Amino acid sequence: MEEAKNNSGQNLGIAALITAIITFVMAVIPCVGMIAIIPGIIAIVLAAVGLSQAQRSDSPRGVIMAGLIIGVIATMVSFSQYFVAGKFARNFDKDKWPERIEEIVNDVQDNVIRDLEDANVSIKVEDGDQKVEINVGTDKSDKEKTLEELEGADTTKHERADTTQHVSITIRK
Amino acid sequence: MKKRAWLNEPYLIINFVLAGVIMLIMIYSGIFSPDKDEYPVVCIHEKLTGEPCVSCGLSHSFSLIIRGRIDEAYEWNQYGMRIFLFFAGQLFIRLVFSVIYANHPDSRKQLIIYDIIGSSALFLITFMPFLIYIFKFS
Repeated sequence: MEEAKNNSGQNLGIAALITAIITFVMAVIPCVGMIAIIPGIIAIVLAAVGLSQAQRSDSPRGVIMAGLIIGVIATMVSFSQYFVAGKFARNFDKDKWPERIEEIVNDVQDNVIRDLEDANVSIKVEDGDQKVEINVGTDKSDKEKTLEELEGADTTKHERADTTQHVSITIRK
Repeated sequence: MKKRAWLNEPYLIINFVLAGVIMLIMIYSGIFSPDKDEYPVVCIHEKLTGEPCVSCGLSHSFSLIIRGRIDEAYEWNQYGMRIFLFFAGQLFIRLVFSVIYANHPDSRKQLIIYDIIGSSALFLITFMPFLIYIFKFS
């Protein structure tokens, strides 16, 4: 009876210590660090209950105190993960995300322009007697050839050119 | 009654439970295939921030190490190997120290002190990159 009385709170202390050690390992891993706060609190509660039982029966408190201390440290580390995630997200919101979006938009623009430079696009629209033909391409010699051909015909021509692409619109009546 | 004498020793209980937890981690890594990518544990950090953290790919890495695909394991997480070795070392330490503890009652206190110091040092060395990551952002 005396032995049982002296071991009062020991089982809770062991449970608290095991939970606290597992929590501590979890808490330092960023992927699962945030959920480690739950077993951390459980470890603290177990240690606190064990400690109160041990105090009442004047039994050894070494294991219980170890569980409590490791549990508290593990919970604090786990809690700090929330700040890490918050700061991380804030950094990306404020500084990184606009830059990244701008980079993505610029990349897409570059790709589209590069594709258009390489491509020869021809659009023809016919509405009764009217006919609109739009040609887009970069090969200047082809454009000049097309223009020469068109000059021979009875047509009205509109031409627009820029550094990256060449557009010619022909309206036939 | 004597067979259950270890139940009265907190050190042995803690060792066996921790060894069991490490075994469960090994079984988890062995059960889930790295090729199928069906791990139940997802990175909460990545879910919240949208950016992968320093420990992302650890489950993949463990599964690949268990299957002997070490090069691929390093690709998934560069710290996977050292953490896996820490757990494997801890499993070994738990079992060996338990045997020593049971067979040498005179040196139990010393053994526990060595265990605490050794395991703490190993833990710090292994998880240092993660600790730096936490303190860098917090």
